[in-house]
Amino acid sequence: MTDYAQLPVPQSFTAPMDNQDIAVKTPPRPDASKTTLPQPGRPVPSRAYPGALIVVEGTDGSGKSTQLYLLKRWLEIGGYRLHFTEWNSSPLVKSATRRGKQKRLLTPTTFSLLHAADFADRCERQIMPLLQGDYLVLADRYIYTAFARDAARGCSHRWLRNLYRFAPVPDITFYFRAPLEVAVDRILSGRPKLKYYEAGMDLGLSYERPESFKLFQARILEEYDKMVDTDNFVVLDGTLPVNKLQKQMRDIVASKIDLKRFAPRAPEAE
Amino acid sequence: MPDQEKDKPTSAAPANVAEIPAKPAGPEPESSQCFFGEPLVGLDPGELNGSLIVIEGMDGSGRSTQIALLQEWLESEGFSVQTSGLRRSNLVGRDIDELLAKNAVTRLTLALMYATDFFDQLEHRIVPALRSGAVVLADRFIFTLIARGVVRGINRDYLTGLYAMALRPHLTFWLNVRPETAFAREFKKAQAISYWEAGRDMSLSHDLYWSFVRYQTMIKRELESMAKKNAFIELDGEASVSAVNKQLRQRIGEQLGIRVSKYTPSSALAHLWR
Repeated sequence: MTDYAQLPVPQSFTAPMDNQDIAVKTPPRPDASKTTLPQPGRPVPSRAYPGALIVVEGTDGSGKSTQLYLLKRWLEIGGYRLHFTEWNSSPLVKSATRRGKQKRLLTPTTFSLLHAADFADRCERQIMPLLQGDYLVLADRYIYTAFARDAARGCSHRWLRNLYRFAPVPDITFYFRAPLEVAVDRILSGRPKLKYYEAGMDLGLSYERPESFKLFQARILEEYDKMVDTDNFVVLDGTLPVNKLQKQMRDIVASKIDLKRFAPRAPEAE
Repeated sequence: MPDQEKDKPTSAAPANVAEIPAKPAGPEPESSQCFFGEPLVGLDPGELNGSLIVIEGMDGSGRSTQIALLQEWLESEGFSVQTSGLRRSNLVGRDIDELLAKNAVTRLTLALMYATDFFDQLEHRIVPALRSGAVVLADRFIFTLIARGVVRGINRDYLTGLYAMALRPHLTFWLNVRPETAFAREFKKAQAISYWEAGRDMSLSHDLYWSFVRYQTMIKRELESMAKKNAFIELDGEASVSAVNKQLRQRIGEQLGIRVSKYTPSSALAHLWR
């Protein structure tokens, strides 16, 4: 067995998952010309799919889901080929996650693994096939949610980075940053009862759920901030008015992604 | 992939182990010796007093028979015994059964569900037992899980990293049998060979027998490649149950620091002793 301590931490999630001696290699598509965002100090990997991946990240209450919804509406109305996917939504793993949470069976490690299984299911059955099939994929939360939240629970960065290294690197990662107080207020005012794991009660930070939630969110925010540079986050100010933020978001998408590629193939005008 | 039988988890039986040191006394285990790669979140390896004994081997190699016999023998010697195995966790054991039955799961999801199952048992069953000084008999461990992933084309380093926080066993036995022998034994057990046992998800052959033999040979090769690095104690799984059992008791007796006397199974287990 490989000595784990000797392994380099992968910088790129696009590291091939297949053992070369066993897997059947698929030839790269002719139109797979785009590259992933540059990784610091690493050669830019060319990738094997023509689609594009846009993800939003941020703490609870940062406004990311609202913004992604509006972006999705904009693209839908324009008729673009797209697919929307949410964190923690694979039906395959749902019953296990629910049971684990209800009975409080989850530890930092199993919490993390179960969410990874959920993500792997969506990745293998939706995200990757759609990227290969030339779709624009929008993801509400992505692997960075796991990196931030599971690291806040005490899982090692090294282990987490390895766990998700099968995930394709997004073309754009929007990070909605809101000050802790603002985000916490938004959640606490709109959601009277915080759930056990949501509030980070398993960490034993406080007996009071709102207080525990606040301390947990502070840790998560800290983890997110660390990834701004290493993972090329596009930072947006979550306190701006909704329509202003949406304008910024649409401008960035239009400038970074060749949207024409995903437009409906209209018949040539005569 | 899994075998047909799935024996029920056995709870640790209360036993008097007061006089017997669970392990030869020595310096406190360091975490590098304790884990394959990195420490498990929230675990102090210094608290672990028991012995972790793993039995690896393909479907039909005789693992569960030997574990049943060893448990009886250890309990008769006054040791508290806990067992673990694949798909026995409270968290996801049943979910994996369902996924396998529906056959609607991709390789990576399945590998991660097995990892969840493994760590749930490690944290909720194996570690508590080791804290209390029990002997844990593990019916397969990370080695089989890694081998199954690798033969399905999942990167080996990825899987090794996934299981970096697994505890290193004190003893790892490998019951080595020929796939042909295993096929005959498995078939006899259930009068059938399951989809996963034969690795049919891998499209190796439409012929069930050849699919089984090829799949189990691939798994066997992977285990072989891990044997040296992980100090597997290889036993001839084709030998008689009593002969294999004698070797197991010998090595486990040395590990536990007890003198190994003659053992004959009780009437409840006599049918296994052929």
